[in-house]
Amino acid sequence: MKIKGYHWAIGLVAVLLGIMLAVQFQMNSSLQKNLSSERTEKLTQQIEQKKMALEKLQARVEEMRQKLDEATARPELGRLKVQLDKVGIMAGTVPVVGPGIEVTLNDSNVALQPGQNPNLYVLHDEDVLKVLNELKAAGAEALAINDQRLIATSEIRCIGPTILTNGNKRLAAPFVITAIGNPDTLYNALFMKGGVAEQLKDWGIQVSASKMNEVIISAYSGAISYEYGNGGDKA
Amino acid sequence: MKKTMYISLLLAGCVLGIMLALQFRSSTSSVPHDRPQELTQELKQLEQDYQILQAEAADLENSLKQLEQGSSQTYEVLQNELQKLRFAAGLEEVTGPGVEVVMDNMPEKERSGYDPSVFSITYEDILRLVNELRAAGAKAISINGQRLVATSEIRNAGKFIDVNLTRLTTPYTIKAIGDPEKLASSLNIKGGIVDTLKEWSISVTVTPKEEITVPAYTNPLDFYYAKPLKEGEDE
Repeated sequence: MKIKGYHWAIGLVAVLLGIMLAVQFQMNSSLQKNLSSERTEKLTQQIEQKKMALEKLQARVEEMRQKLDEATARPELGRLKVQLDKVGIMAGTVPVVGPGIEVTLNDSNVALQPGQNPNLYVLHDEDVLKVLNELKAAGAEALAINDQRLIATSEIRCIGPTILTNGNKRLAAPFVITAIGNPDTLYNALFMKGGVAEQLKDWGIQVSASKMNEVIISAYSGAISYEYGNGGDKA
Repeated sequence: MKKTMYISLLLAGCVLGIMLALQFRSSTSSVPHDRPQELTQELKQLEQDYQILQAEAADLENSLKQLEQGSSQTYEVLQNELQKLRFAAGLEEVTGPGVEVVMDNMPEKERSGYDPSVFSITYEDILRLVNELRAAGAKAISINGQRLVATSEIRNAGKFIDVNLTRLTTPYTIKAIGDPEKLASSLNIKGGIVDTLKEWSISVTVTPKEEITVPAYTNPLDFYYAKPLKEGEDE
């Protein structure tokens, strides 16, 4: 009898010890998590706020650009208007419409064998760059990716599964590239034998495209850079 | 008998405790360490973009105010706007701080390690390098005197490349305007593009410069397919 009492006591102590250990560990990790998540939360909040403010400002800038555009709609300014439109298309501040192509890119759907490097079968910034470059070579006059107008300074940065472009625009797959130009030329440039589409398909990356009678590409919503060219003051 | 019972019970209790602890730990795995860092980066970028856009908004506001004052100034205001757009579009020569990158193939005899014919400069290398420069905030870029605009291609042409429909030969001199230190370090970063190219026996030199001039785009500005989107036509 006495021995059995001992048993229970020791068992109980051991379980208590176990629970204490567990609680200890949990507290440790939750403490860490709280600190880290508090920071994350604050940052996320600030980012959201900044994004909203930026969007508001962008809307205002667009509105003002439009007002300025309306001011040019007077007959005596006709020639200037033509110039403004042309240069605006090039700079990306004028929304455009025209025939073209819509290209959709998505990550590979190849089932990986163990030991294969999954990184090889994921869409890279280089792949997107090559597709864009091929479209430009085929005479694309205006380009956008997921509705972000691409201008002379636009970069393509892959961050995890997303693409960052125009500084702060984060895009998620599938990536839809729209281009205005001759639809046949654009299509053939991508899908010719040994072309970019074929190369990408080797890695299982999904490429599809459709020719369009009308593609609408919106204006670049950020600030156009004139830091180094302030009407000739600094340049 | 008593002793072995004691020890085995204790052991069982401890194992139970550790299992519990592990269980708790894995169920509360904390946020990946670099997430706050990534968020901070994003916030910084947003703040920067906001500032630049604010300057642009102020500028536009100023233009609109001048417009209201009287039609006599309309022409001048629009002329200013046009000039600004010309800079953004790449139609004006730009001077400012930046970097100069010279890329060349080493003589075949001096190349080491790899099959020399395979590792010479390709358009993809230049595409990547230019993208890095853009990601680092380059405002204007040229290759062997050809200004890169929104529609500029970097096309593979055997041993050469074509940019803006113009054939370029080695050595390739890439000029970029922006923060010299930022631009240079984005290329020179360990494991970055300069490292990779050197591995392939391609010589790359990056020189930060206090003043560098990037020429204007000189090809005709004709759009055959893209038309400005008029208001009301918007989807």
